[in-house]
Amino acid sequence: MDEAELIRAAQQGDQRAFEQLVRLYDQSVLRLATNLLRSPEEANDIYQEAFLRVFKNLHTFRFDCSFHTWLYRIVSNLCLDALRKRKVRREESSLVETSEGVLDRMDTVEERRADGNPERQLESQELKSRIQEVLGGLTPRERAVFEMRHYQGMRLRTIGEVMGTSEEAAKNCLFRATQKMRAALGDFV
Amino acid sequence: MTCEETRKNLPLFLYGELSFDEEELVEVHMDECAACRAALAREKAMFGALDEAEMIPAAGALEESRMELRRRLAHSQNPIRRSSWWDKVREGFTINFHFAPGIAQVAGAAAMLVLGFVTARMAPNSLLGNFRTASVMDNPATSRVRYVEPTSPGRVQIVVDETHQRVLSGSLDDQSIQRLLLTAAKDPSDAGLRVESVDLLKNNSQSAEIRKALVYALEHDPNAGVRLKALDGLKQFAEDPDTRQALTSVLLKDDNPGVRTQVIDLLVQRQHNDAMVGVLQELMEKEDNSYIRMRCQKVLQEMNASVETY
Repeated sequence: MDEAELIRAAQQGDQRAFEQLVRLYDQSVLRLATNLLRSPEEANDIYQEAFLRVFKNLHTFRFDCSFHTWLYRIVSNLCLDALRKRKVRREESSLVETSEGVLDRMDTVEERRADGNPERQLESQELKSRIQEVLGGLTPRERAVFEMRHYQGMRLRTIGEVMGTSEEAAKNCLFRATQKMRAALGDFV
Repeated sequence: MTCEETRKNLPLFLYGELSFDEEELVEVHMDECAACRAALAREKAMFGALDEAEMIPAAGALEESRMELRRRLAHSQNPIRRSSWWDKVREGFTINFHFAPGIAQVAGAAAMLVLGFVTARMAPNSLLGNFRTASVMDNPATSRVRYVEPTSPGRVQIVVDETHQRVLSGSLDDQSIQRLLLTAAKDPSDAGLRVESVDLLKNNSQSAEIRKALVYALEHDPNAGVRLKALDGLKQFAEDPDTRQALTSVLLKDDNPGVRTQVIDLLVQRQHNDAMVGVLQELMEKEDNSYIRMRCQKVLQEMNASVETY
């Protein structure tokens, strides 16, 4: 079954078709949420909420846009809400207090680079925390556009559709995000 | 274009998000300005650092999320659910209970009693017990009655097809694991399974057999997600003649612009050979995606070839 057939079958209540549909996109959804929120627990919450919303509202999907755009609209809205709430709560730090002391939630997330060299590890650690800091300083919208363009490889036109704005506005957002990053990381790279 | 404008455009240039004309202006300026070339190198280094900082969900996180979703879906009311005859019967009872609890409960209980009595009287013994269940009771994942055949009066022989589940785990380099993944990569009934299998196989594309399977998936899989994963695995073999031939064919016939966009990027990223001219000209005749047209046009101009065939 191709995607459109899967959607139609899932709209008719075919649970297996729905699961297949989820599997087509869930890896990139979890990846986007993990990158955006930098918290495995919150990323899982977004994953659950996004697909439950898809499940409940799939019968309203009319193929006016691609399923990918529709799904990402749900995911990005959820992520933006979470980021906005976090801004209010000032919870950007990944450190949490537990009964066993302070733990870094990001320790449960894999980094791309695994390097045995201690010096490089230290450098990489510093760079990582600087990047974390810069990302934390971006507005939720700038951050979402940057993540979708840089890590998900989505075109600005699609990002505009997902965010409910124009390609030009998405471009400006990306431009501001990269400018801020250049200013903060300039001496590191 | 001034240095200031060029530098402002560098990120969009690297993302391939500038228009054809803007990209041309940046490139022309870059040829003449060493300072901007250095700025581009710094921008690329920053992009590299950002690439390295990507957070990949921990191993097993996806599977855990899937399991949790499955649990939550099981408890969630399907908004559009196919109703079976039994659902309809049950719904019927529910409505009656709702409107007239006292009478309807008695009526419902009586109906169930009658149903049970009739079933016990009418149904053959084999359905109510006393049949050989050994093979069926081995907990197969799925079973299907292939055919039924009355043997002697009051007895029947039933042939059941069963599928048993086994959990296998092993290294991705293990040949038997690879063989299973190769089979799963061609499972016509499950696009999600194919996406995941191809995604795992693509890391071992050094193997000729796996590369062949990736080429097959790229050319024939009906699902664009699978084709994109296969393409990802073939990236490093873009210069290999067989892969290149497959990529060319995909560029001309694939109906998904996302796939074609990646293929064109791959085909024109390194040296352009003359054989590409005809392909690109043919593509220009029918391509409606502006990005792909722009890439074609640019390569054809670089090769001093005309944009159209005459």
